[in-house]
Amino acid sequence: MQAVILAAGEGKRVRPLTRNRPKALIPVANAPILDYPIRALLENGVRDIIVVVGYRQEHVLRHLNRMDLPVSVAVQKKQLGTADALKCARDLIKEDFLVLPGDNYIDGRSIRRVAGEVNAMLVKQHPYPSNFGVVTMEDGNITGITEKPEKTESFTISTGIAALTPDFLDFLDSNDLTDAYNEMIRQGGTLRAIPADDWQDAVYPWDLLQMNRRLLETIPGSIAGTVGRDVVVSGLVQVGKGTTIGPHTVIQGPVIIGEECEIGPHCCIMSGTSIGDRVKIEPFTCVAESILMKDAAAGSHSRIDGAVIGEGSRLADHTTVLSSPTLLEIEGALMKVSFGAVIGDQVHGGPFTVYEGAIVGNNVRINGNIRIRGLSAATDSALVI
Amino acid sequence: MCGILGYSGISDAAPILIDGLKKLEYRGYDSFGIATIGNGIELFKKQGRISSGITRARNLSGTAGIGHTRWATHGVPDDKNAHPHVDCTGTIAIVHNGIIENYQALRRDLTARGHRFSSETDTEVIVHLLEEQYRGDLLEAFQSVIPLLHGSYALLAVAKGDERIVAARQSSPLVVGIGDQAIFAASDMTPLLQYTQNVVYLQDGDIATLVPGRLSVWNQGVPVSREIEKIEWTVEQVKKGGFAHYMLKEIYEQPEVFSDTLRTLRREEVPARILREKAITLVACGTSYHAGMVFKYLAEELCGIPVRVELGSEFKYYPTPTRDLVIGITQSGETADTLAALKQARAYQSPTLAVTNVLGSTITRTADHTLYMGAGPEISVAATKSFIAELAVLLHLVDAMSRGEITRSLDGVNRAMEQVLLSSTERAVDLCCGAAHIFFVGRGPFYAVALEGALKMKEISYIHAEGYAAGEIKHGPFALLSPKTPAVGLCIPGETYPVMVSNLREMKARGVPLIVLGEEGDLDLGELADVFIPLPGGDTVQHIFSATVALQLLAYHTAVRLKREIDTPRNLAKSVTVE
Repeated sequence: MQAVILAAGEGKRVRPLTRNRPKALIPVANAPILDYPIRALLENGVRDIIVVVGYRQEHVLRHLNRMDLPVSVAVQKKQLGTADALKCARDLIKEDFLVLPGDNYIDGRSIRRVAGEVNAMLVKQHPYPSNFGVVTMEDGNITGITEKPEKTESFTISTGIAALTPDFLDFLDSNDLTDAYNEMIRQGGTLRAIPADDWQDAVYPWDLLQMNRRLLETIPGSIAGTVGRDVVVSGLVQVGKGTTIGPHTVIQGPVIIGEECEIGPHCCIMSGTSIGDRVKIEPFTCVAESILMKDAAAGSHSRIDGAVIGEGSRLADHTTVLSSPTLLEIEGALMKVSFGAVIGDQVHGGPFTVYEGAIVGNNVRINGNIRIRGLSAATDSALVI
Repeated sequence: MCGILGYSGISDAAPILIDGLKKLEYRGYDSFGIATIGNGIELFKKQGRISSGITRARNLSGTAGIGHTRWATHGVPDDKNAHPHVDCTGTIAIVHNGIIENYQALRRDLTARGHRFSSETDTEVIVHLLEEQYRGDLLEAFQSVIPLLHGSYALLAVAKGDERIVAARQSSPLVVGIGDQAIFAASDMTPLLQYTQNVVYLQDGDIATLVPGRLSVWNQGVPVSREIEKIEWTVEQVKKGGFAHYMLKEIYEQPEVFSDTLRTLRREEVPARILREKAITLVACGTSYHAGMVFKYLAEELCGIPVRVELGSEFKYYPTPTRDLVIGITQSGETADTLAALKQARAYQSPTLAVTNVLGSTITRTADHTLYMGAGPEISVAATKSFIAELAVLLHLVDAMSRGEITRSLDGVNRAMEQVLLSSTERAVDLCCGAAHIFFVGRGPFYAVALEGALKMKEISYIHAEGYAAGEIKHGPFALLSPKTPAVGLCIPGETYPVMVSNLREMKARGVPLIVLGEEGDLDLGELADVFIPLPGGDTVQHIFSATVALQLLAYHTAVRLKREIDTPRNLAKSVTVE
């Protein structure tokens, strides 16, 4: 069996984090999301993997090359949609295959379940189905999929993961895979619905935090690096090599810390936190429920709660990131969400800054001594005084 | 310079040789050939690249054979000059990488004795000499012929009715790979990686016989043992990995290469003797020479010592003995001119230091100390990541000699390069790809960066590009400027900035289309330039790297637009092992 992973799209709704990388490369629990579907496939012995790349493809290729795994690559020149992406891999598909989105998490067990079927799709119950493709069913067969409906009776959604035969490639007339599935069903084909165990998608950047918390439970605990005197570690904790944990630091798992980081002394790293390589956290700072991508830094005497911080961003001393409910206007609709901050790459945050439900663009400079809420600093390269 | 490959084992040799030669193509690619021991010596050779017309080659029978991919030095690239070469009787076949200096004299004698030559190569004399000495034992024939040869060679030979491959090496690279029921010999490890990690580097004067699973080596007629080394490069590392070209792949590997190299270097102390040097001379060729120039500017400023940077090929014309530390920089470790310069320095009893990418390469055995770049195999002929790795090594030296003056700057280099990799050069490419001449100008260390940028542009886009110190433009080249000659200016904050701006204005006044690299957010440059390429904020060291990457991308995308053969530009080969 072959597998086609779709990793060509940007994932616009996860901006600003997808300005410099496709959504599939956003690190969650210190591994790009793309790694999880690949792992699930390998667990089930599916080794003939085709990855469709497009947006920022060099970065995806570079990542794939680092993995010791021979994958085939297909290039989608223009990101027209998922069906078009699959079409780009057409020449490489020789047998029954699985199609998977590269920017969602899926567990190995669900893959095993669907891989045994012909023309079947993994579906999942979701409390807010209207962001996804909603599935209607009859006798365990899918009768139709509606993309992002405004009103819906069903709470069953499509995960986008399906086991298909090469015949399915004949239905790729429009740009979207949903249309292809509907067309196949209309012409009398069957598409069985298979429940997925664990499937996670981050529609918006703050959803990454929940995904992170869930994926942290899958990491193996192991501590490399240098751990100072009187460090208290509890729960599932992974620390990479070359990292220094200063004295009197408290780490409460699940937490993952990458390589060559400098943390503490006297820091608290609380549960649900992922810290990338070469991150620096200065003394007397508390981090909880957050993702700090590689080369990020947090100054001393700070509290960082519920934040996604992009690569190379530096928050100065006395920063506060508070998880608080915020109203955001997104794609014309008002949404009530609760998170601390989503901060792009290479941001310089000044001292005594408070972030509450804040979206901060890439390369933004913040002078400090200011309170940032909502979208007020969301433009890339803005200077916030 | 050429690539050679030998295989003896239990599988058919021909397909293994053909696939292996493809990996060696970066060493030369104007013709290729293989010979196997099947029904006698079976031979296939052809002008051109390996992709074309190889079905017949693959069908040669036999489980032992030799192959060659050529970059012509003696005799034009055509079918008859392609290796392997066979003797008059068709008993012995040979492949050769290097140059036989006394071949004309040998050839005259051999012709007088009745040998018929079928090619114009220097190599063919060897096979006729072997023919004369051959009494059924190829090894013995080698022992008698080798002393007659002057010059450089890595040789592989097979004879009818003999399962052995005989190898010899003098001043040309040759590595033996020992596999399971198979044995290989090649110019470098790229064709071996998929079969084995265990390699033996042969040394000058070695003659060896290869049978599956066993290597025997003689030097000066005495049996010697050579250590088996384990190489950790994986085949994955040498593959193109989905990128359109090796060059682009290697450009994108640079941030990681840089931090890996720096991390490895920082684990060990620089020898105290080097830190105490009062003067340094660097010798290098091509891209490595530019890395040396960057070193000069930074070491002179931060360490206060005089630094000379010389071209490897010119060094021998400076016969005044030097007592300076002499640093030789070569990616392959085999660059003939740099090696010769280092030998010259040793003759004057100067301490020597090698900076190279290849473990066990010739230069590592020539110099007193070696610092490795750790860039991994570089396949693209145009050097990119090896330049960055060379800078990592050299700037680490500056850092150590200046007691940590640039430690923090080096820490930020990785990120600076990552950011440039996200930028677009589209509009600058529009300007470049229509031009017949492009000027690259900079001052201080950015003059060195300009030279490197121009070299990349020349190598792969075939556009005539000229790197100039900005101040020198007025001393002649100004006459060449016109609205048809775009200029690329490196206008980086710091000492050189104000005078660079006025230099660029002068050029602008002549209607020269300007592509300017400067720090992001620089509104003045944005107005002055026709195309402004913003570099991320940082200090001089970081800007050196970010500007270099930006210019690599500019050259690459220009060459892509012009549909050039990016990884194997015409007339060029990866490592220049002849003078």
